[in-house]
Amino acid sequence: MALFDQRPAYAHEPTVAPIEHRFSPYSDNGGTILAIAGADFAVIAGDTRQSEGYSIQTRYARKVWQLTDNATLATNGFAADGKNFVKRVKQRLEWYEHAHHKPMGLKAIARMIQTMLYGRRFFPYYVYNILGGIEEDGTGAVYSFDPVGSYEREACRAAGAAQSLVQPFLDNQIYFKNQTPAPGAEAFVPGRLPMATVLGLVVDSFTSATERHIEVGDGLEMYVVMKEGRQTTDLTDEGQLPAGMKVEELGSMGEGRGEKTFLVSMPLKRD
Amino acid sequence: MECSFGLTGKDFVLLAADTSAGRSIIQMKDDENKIKALGPHIAMAYGGEAGDTNNFADFVDRNLRLYQIRNHTPLLPAAASAWIRRSLAESLRSRHPYSVNLMLAGFDITDSTSHLYWIDYLGTKAIVPYAAHGLGQYLALSTMDKWWTEGVDKREGIEILKKCVDEVGKRSTLKFKFNCILIDASGIHHINLDSSDPIAEMEQAGKAAEVINPNPPLDVGITA
Amino acid sequence: MEYNGGSVVAMIGKDCVAIASDLRLGQQSVGVAMNFEKVFPVNDKLYYGLPGLATDVYTLREQLRFRVNMYRMKEEREITPKTFTHLLSSTLYEKRFGPYFLEPVVAGLTTPTELEPKPKPFISTMDTIGCITTPKDFAVAGTAQDKLYGMAEGLWEPDLEPEDLFETISQTLLNAVDRDALSGWGAIVHVITHDKVITRQLRSRMD
Repeated sequence: MALFDQRPAYAHEPTVAPIEHRFSPYSDNGGTILAIAGADFAVIAGDTRQSEGYSIQTRYARKVWQLTDNATLATNGFAADGKNFVKRVKQRLEWYEHAHHKPMGLKAIARMIQTMLYGRRFFPYYVYNILGGIEEDGTGAVYSFDPVGSYEREACRAAGAAQSLVQPFLDNQIYFKNQTPAPGAEAFVPGRLPMATVLGLVVDSFTSATERHIEVGDGLEMYVVMKEGRQTTDLTDEGQLPAGMKVEELGSMGEGRGEKTFLVSMPLKRD
Repeated sequence: MECSFGLTGKDFVLLAADTSAGRSIIQMKDDENKIKALGPHIAMAYGGEAGDTNNFADFVDRNLRLYQIRNHTPLLPAAASAWIRRSLAESLRSRHPYSVNLMLAGFDITDSTSHLYWIDYLGTKAIVPYAAHGLGQYLALSTMDKWWTEGVDKREGIEILKKCVDEVGKRSTLKFKFNCILIDASGIHHINLDSSDPIAEMEQAGKAAEVINPNPPLDVGITA
Repeated sequence: MEYNGGSVVAMIGKDCVAIASDLRLGQQSVGVAMNFEKVFPVNDKLYYGLPGLATDVYTLREQLRFRVNMYRMKEEREITPKTFTHLLSSTLYEKRFGPYFLEPVVAGLTTPTELEPKPKPFISTMDTIGCITTPKDFAVAGTAQDKLYGMAEGLWEPDLEPEDLFETISQTLLNAVDRDALSGWGAIVHVITHDKVITRQLRSRMD
């Protein structure tokens, strides 16, 4: 009778175990972005590594986007949301230009981004945005946002995977926190550093972050937005840039007032 | 919910602890003394898990007494705090940890300094000028931050303590009665916080205000 | 680690080392004391820092003081930074399955001997169960660890003289703890050189 004890394989009862089918609409793609405002320029930078968990998806994915002649946006967080968000911001900017025959100003872009983000308050873009550029009064400006649209104009901001590594460094070097001027010396004013110093700090921030954070590395893209009247040579002259930089002038996107945007890029460690 | 305060001054230390005893929402007693004198110039306010509290306080009391009998001198505040902290730290990684938070206050008669130790059930020890446990931490630490200064005298100290007690009365939904003592060079004294001038009352009462020392010096020829 | 808060950093300089800590002792978000040092001397050329659970800071410190004293009496000489690191490591590993919640940092100078005439400045750090790392530049630990990494990586450079090392470690610590809610409330720095130890309390943000 033992022959009948075991039923043939095809006759086994189907296993009824609960299988979880939950779709997660979000992911974190690592990377870090950073922006610093100068008196008449702004630097908006980001690394180019895109990762998910411990896997590198690509060593070159852009996180910084030129929007207009005087505005550049950096996105960080969930890359798909970031791309889609930038696409829709650009679309809104185009509509604005058609309606008003002029490009949108920086602070208007900042407010628009806040409305667009808050519009998705209950299914947010999982993206931290930093907007940098030249304000209508000609000053360099940085606006930073949280995923649901809280925003603030600042002299500098870091966001993303290595925010905790970079932001204290910026507090110290840009806001001069915990530093006191020598007796009789001029008081420190944030947001007035020369371009060469700022670019040096951006490079140092990213090489430091690359050294200690696994999600940061591969390449660095720094977008430099300069007020009209500043020369290309301000960037390309000897001593302005650390060695090994590639500089590319990005053409005008429309009827700006002659602001120039440059893309300065360099490799970062790939390990 | 429990609440206790400690505060040091120029030549004294104050301790105050609420007098409620109960479980969850039921209060069973409103006159429970949660301050214990451990020697002629040292006392502690304790709270935590019912049962653990009194047992641990007795354990500390008897051990300090034993030390005094063996050595003919009471343990000084710093040494007592180290011993108590260690007892709690060892208990923490045992099978039945004591769940007792306490504040140890003492006056060192050898160099006339006041000491206050904030100790929690983990064996965390902080040497502080003023401190609170329980609700007091959230409600009255800021009051002490604002009013306490280096070298406050007895009257000012009591005033600060009263402000803390008032704060708890004002901001908490629970009602507390407080038990208070003052330790100075002459020993441990009861303080009546409801009095208009508690210091005058204490001085007037003299011997009557003294907290009975559980560990009096032994008359064996050598004294503390 | 996040129960009491606190951070420690150590750095190597030219013939000197520095070690620094914040002074906060908290109970979660409530600040309890602003005089809680986390760096202790072993002898005048060797210091160590113990950020982590405050009760274990005391317990391990007492344990180490006992063991170092025993070493000193048996060997009739001072313990070297390297030996102390291993002593600390084995002390932690004794509690492998119920560890002390501490991430120690050691900083010291080795006295030159015939066998080792030119010893290098020494720092080391380890995890809660005593796994040692001996960096060539700096070591960080505590609740502001990642901030300290960012600062130190940006400010530190090789062969700093004692006063420059003091400035570097101070700026590293202060700016890191100012971005950490669980660290801060004052700071203390020790710079160890062959002939003296410079100890300074730093004025800092108290929020």
